Amino acid sequence: MSQFLRDYLTVVWFGAIALVLGGLLLGVAALLRPNKPTAQKLIAYESGVDPVGDGWSQSQVRYYIFALLFVIFDIEAVFIFPWATQVERYGAFGLVVMLIFLILLLDGLAYAWKKGVLRWV
Amino acid sequence: MLVNNFLLLGAVLFCIGVYGVIARKNAVMVLMSIELILNSVNLNFIAFSTLHGNIDGNTLALFIIGVAAAEVGVGLAMVLLIFRNRKSIALDELSEMKG
Amino acid sequence: MIASLLAAAGDWVAPTLDYHALAPEIILAAGIFAVLSIDLFLEPEQRWITSALSGFVMLGALVTVGTLAVIGDDTRSMFGGRYVSDEYALILKALFLVAGYIVVLMSSDEIERGRYHQGEYYVLLLTSVLGMVMMASSRDLLSIFVALELLSIPAYMLAAWNKRNSRGNEAGVKYYLLGVFASAITLYGMSLLYGVTGTTLLTDLGSAITANGRFSGVEVIAVAFIVVGFAFKISAVPFHQWAPDVYEGAPTPITAFLSVASKAAGFVALVTLTFVAFPNAEDVYQPFMWVLAALSMTIGNLYALRQTNIVRMLAYSSVSQGGFILMPLTVAGVDGVGESALKAVVVYLVVYAATNLGAFAVVIAVARKTRSGEISSYGGLFGYAPALGVLMTIFLASLAGIPPLGGWFAKFGAFKAVLDADTGWGYSIAIIAAINTVISAAYYITVMREIWMKDEPTGDTTPIRTPPSLGAALVITCGATIVLGVLPDIVGRFGDITDLTGALGR
Repeated sequence: MSQFLRDYLTVVWFGAIALVLGGLLLGVAALLRPNKPTAQKLIAYESGVDPVGDGWSQSQVRYYIFALLFVIFDIEAVFIFPWATQVERYGAFGLVVMLIFLILLLDGLAYAWKKGVLRWV
Repeated sequence: MLVNNFLLLGAVLFCIGVYGVIARKNAVMVLMSIELILNSVNLNFIAFSTLHGNIDGNTLALFIIGVAAAEVGVGLAMVLLIFRNRKSIALDELSEMKG
Repeated sequence: MIASLLAAAGDWVAPTLDYHALAPEIILAAGIFAVLSIDLFLEPEQRWITSALSGFVMLGALVTVGTLAVIGDDTRSMFGGRYVSDEYALILKALFLVAGYIVVLMSSDEIERGRYHQGEYYVLLLTSVLGMVMMASSRDLLSIFVALELLSIPAYMLAAWNKRNSRGNEAGVKYYLLGVFASAITLYGMSLLYGVTGTTLLTDLGSAITANGRFSGVEVIAVAFIVVGFAFKISAVPFHQWAPDVYEGAPTPITAFLSVASKAAGFVALVTLTFVAFPNAEDVYQPFMWVLAALSMTIGNLYALRQTNIVRMLAYSSVSQGGFILMPLTVAGVDGVGESALKAVVVYLVVYAATNLGAFAVVIAVARKTRSGEISSYGGLFGYAPALGVLMTIFLASLAGIPPLGGWFAKFGAFKAVLDADTGWGYSIAIIAAINTVISAAYYITVMREIWMKDEPTGDTTPIRTPPSLGAALVITCGATIVLGVLPDIVGRFGDITDLTGALGR
């Protein structure tokens, strides 16, 4: 065992003591405290008022696919913008690479189109 | 140099994200927590990139943004799938298989 | 600010692309494009074209890997050493492509029965294989990250393939959430590593870590986070809980794919990072690897013993095999052992891939008739399907490490590497592994006993009709398992991998 690992023995000791101490205190508390659960005690505390509903409403699921397509194409701009600001710098090589990238992206759009996800029904 | 502040913010976001992944039962909340972790990573990369004066960190951050979008697309589709089949997205109810 | 960074980077020169070295990736990418586009215009009864085309794409890429291995220099390096095609990369690329091809063979019948989204299935499979092939060549944090996500994201969707089935949903969601969480953790580790060293190139990272002779706390945390993240990917205990559930819920060909190819890709990343990026950090990763290996072997085996479902048993068995693959990495940092440790890992991955794919192919063939995954449904298999019975026995014996099969040679290499190290870590893990080899034999033999000694539980002894593609998969995997055991020199020759460890002149 090297010097480096020996240094970490302290951490191991610390962890062991933390576990033992924590377990001991929680164990003693569990033994001593009275345990009388009632339905009233177990409901979530919401400023003293009984909680109503589960806090969220639904929106139309058909928005999802459009939102998703938007997000994907929007994010791909992240790769196009840096290239666009430096077109001259990257020259023909950059142009070819970006064209390949765009063609692959368009393949995805063609797929979505052909599968009919772009139609609003 | 203000790099320390960015790193501190990154570490705090990371911890909140990890806490969210572990403690939350709602699948969408878990997804959002994972996004928090990825954002803390981005923050770290950009802060370090500025510190070292090279572009590698910025490049990695761009790729992380792109990949995170793809991940979320897949993740939301899966959440939609379990909601259709079970009418609930609580993760602790997803425990049919055991052993 | 970006402009000043760009100015600091100096003049930009277009990188020279070595098209021969990139040929496997290019063929796969073109294949993905072709399958996706052609599938849009196919009539339902022509759908078999997509599976045939995917198979040919994998084989085409494999051919170029072969020509790369035979012709030309050993090492082709691109983008300033960020993407390298050396012997280590080539043998693993071949492994991923063959595994992908066998999975295509296994699925063509299974997926056609489901009758939906065949084209997408093969596109996702090809994409995942492309990610793995990239992973084998990646020598930069960025390319490792992109390859990791490229192989994982399609795998999440494939795991959730049975989308009307609540077990399929459960499998997909569990795999997705844990996988994404793990890659986020890995990324945080990578960001810290970039922070302390200021580079993402693995060879530079390797020389920058402990440049001052002592670890900083940040370096330790970074290495730990990265190892933990990949431990999820390779389902090492205690990060294995997703594996059995995902393996049970996913379609069986995908289970085979995840347990072999996806796992191997995780190991590849871990090995590349260990040998190239952390060569001086053995004090940090050694204890991690030791604990992960010991726990994976022991706990995987103990759980496998009490399984009644064959897929779950194979899942826990693959967790425990993962421990054996990790074993040589515990001594990777010892002087003079690095190379044999690397060789042991690669050989183990190849043998394990052949054997485990074969075992899953038998499971698919048997489930076609019995419609059941219970181990008891294998009763009397030898009586009515002697070929499948013998094949399953061969695969299980190889997994258990019985000579002269491939699994024996792989285990031998792993033991040899840790014993050669001559350290306390090495000897202790070898003892744990030896005990576990004996325990694992118990559950493999349980299945063999069902096959050979018991009677068919329902009394239905009509023979099993194996479709030709599945038969081909069985022949390839069985041939590989036996040949690797009898003539281990074949991989031994390919496993002559000095390039990776030689990267830093050790």
